[in-house]
Amino acid sequence: MVQILPYVYLGYMFISIYFVTFYLLLFIRNRKNMFESPEVTKKYTISVLVPAYNEQDTIENTIKAVFDSKYPIDELIVLDDGSKDDTGKIVKSLLKKYSKLVYINKENSGKADSLNQGIKLAKSELIAVVDADSYPEKEAFGRLVGFFDDEKVGVATPYIIPRNREKFWEKLQYIEYSVIAFTRKLLGYVDAIYVTPGPLALYRKSALEHIGGFDKENMTEDIEVTWHLTKEGYKRKMSLGAVATTTVPSKLKPWLTQRRRWNLGGLQCISKYKRYFLRKGMLGFFILPFFILNLFLGLVGLSIFLYLSISRIITNYFYVRSSFIVGSAVISSGNFHYTPSFLNYLGIVLFVFGLIYTVLILFIMKQNVMLKKHNFFIFLIYSTIYLMFYPFILVTSLYHYFKGVQRWR
Amino acid sequence: MMEKSQKIVFLQALIVTFLIFNLGIFLGFKLEENRINKVNTFYLESEMDLLDQRIQREIFDITTINCDKAIEANIDFADKIFAEAKIISRYESASRLSNELEFQHKRFDLLRTLFWINSIRIKRDCNADYDNLVYLYKLNDLSLEDKAKQSVFSNVLTGVKEKYGSKIMLIPIAADTGIPSIELLLDAYNVTELPVILINEEIQLNDLDEVKELEKYLE
Repeated sequence: MVQILPYVYLGYMFISIYFVTFYLLLFIRNRKNMFESPEVTKKYTISVLVPAYNEQDTIENTIKAVFDSKYPIDELIVLDDGSKDDTGKIVKSLLKKYSKLVYINKENSGKADSLNQGIKLAKSELIAVVDADSYPEKEAFGRLVGFFDDEKVGVATPYIIPRNREKFWEKLQYIEYSVIAFTRKLLGYVDAIYVTPGPLALYRKSALEHIGGFDKENMTEDIEVTWHLTKEGYKRKMSLGAVATTTVPSKLKPWLTQRRRWNLGGLQCISKYKRYFLRKGMLGFFILPFFILNLFLGLVGLSIFLYLSISRIITNYFYVRSSFIVGSAVISSGNFHYTPSFLNYLGIVLFVFGLIYTVLILFIMKQNVMLKKHNFFIFLIYSTIYLMFYPFILVTSLYHYFKGVQRWR
Repeated sequence: MMEKSQKIVFLQALIVTFLIFNLGIFLGFKLEENRINKVNTFYLESEMDLLDQRIQREIFDITTINCDKAIEANIDFADKIFAEAKIISRYESASRLSNELEFQHKRFDLLRTLFWINSIRIKRDCNADYDNLVYLYKLNDLSLEDKAKQSVFSNVLTGVKEKYGSKIMLIPIAADTGIPSIELLLDAYNVTELPVILINEEIQLNDLDEVKELEKYLE
């Protein structure tokens, strides 16, 4: 095991260098038009679908944000998925104020099913899906519609920013969302966008109808629908100039639950589309391999990390125990001599590259407030500890996935 | 379309990655080569010193042995071995690309074995009062417990060497590398278990409890 570790490590290095290089090259090529949105040359009608379940705290502001849009919205359908709180009451109270607001009260059947019912009701050419806790900014729709002049475009997505960004955990996600948005924009240049997130995505209605709407079985209908559109040859676009804000988990536990759901959805998508691996355009040649590679690297990396950590703990235990028996010092001058290997140097170089990449993103996305003195600690935690959570969440997701699969049978 | 023209980036990134990666590997080899060269220099110097000692012995065999000089040279050599062993061990643990240090290790073990024999002879012929402290350890197939035990043995021996200085000849030798001369010596001194501290070719200390009493045997 120990003999192969340097080679595994080198493999990781290669893949990491590849992706950092890939993103940097894409950025260099497109740095001048990153924030540009296509011109609006044609008038599109837009129906907004807002699936809601117990959203009494945010639903009113979501409706307000949608109707505040500079681009005209033709209808807003709130799909109340059997809320037990005052969501319905609040929406009903707004019906007089907003003539284009439609309230549908239905039995609880899940977000995807609600959206599918909404698609049937929607009368417009474009359908926007907006989460009930997300607020599109005034310019958002106007900066997305231009993409649809290209008939192959099936969906366009904006830059999603956390609205709550005061607490420690929220600030970490604030950095993360900037990195995700920037990376997604870059992936858009090679037609490799693999998710159009729930807070706001603008779909071509005919595309959604063509693929039969959202998959009710998938835990992340936004990932699945993107993969499905990709499979059918639709393009996915992203505008950094279009912005929507959303609420992110403030604490570790709900954050873990959310991330596990994302991972589970991803696993479901891999399972559903695995037959297209290395087939069927970008889905089979990039998105699926990218997800599978992430899964593989996460699992192997975590296994190695655990193997090395546990070995170190056991060795240290034996060492301390033996030192006590012999009566020798546990810490000696030899403990302070460390000769770094070539791999250590390579790791440091890669880590520094990663930091530079993140700093670059924050500057480009005009979020360099996260690099100011009072936030620098958060930035460091993000670059080190926060990202280490990913593989652990992946493992718990896999556990739930296989447990779930057995139950589904 | 814009996307099609940009897919070339997949290939460009691969080429750039190959360049960066190979540059990294090249620099890694250079780093390790530099360390190997240092170890080589140590080896050549040690080899020369030991050869010189052996020639001195040959000279003394045909004339009269100058014990003071022989003992002094032996002590100097032992101190040198002790300092080198620490550096080589650190370089070995940081070696990732090349296994050349493994071969170097064997050469050093042979040299140290030769030194051990020389030390036995000088002690016998000159009635010297130093103690030969030969540390025979495992290099291969180490369990976690072995690893920890050997670290503790190393610490204890380092402490003893620092305390007693020239009064002990500390000779660390990896004894499981299949070198016939070392195996012969293991047989000759009935060493069956590693790691072991062999004091003056008579006393074997294997257990941690025994090692605790190490200094008792050096008085």
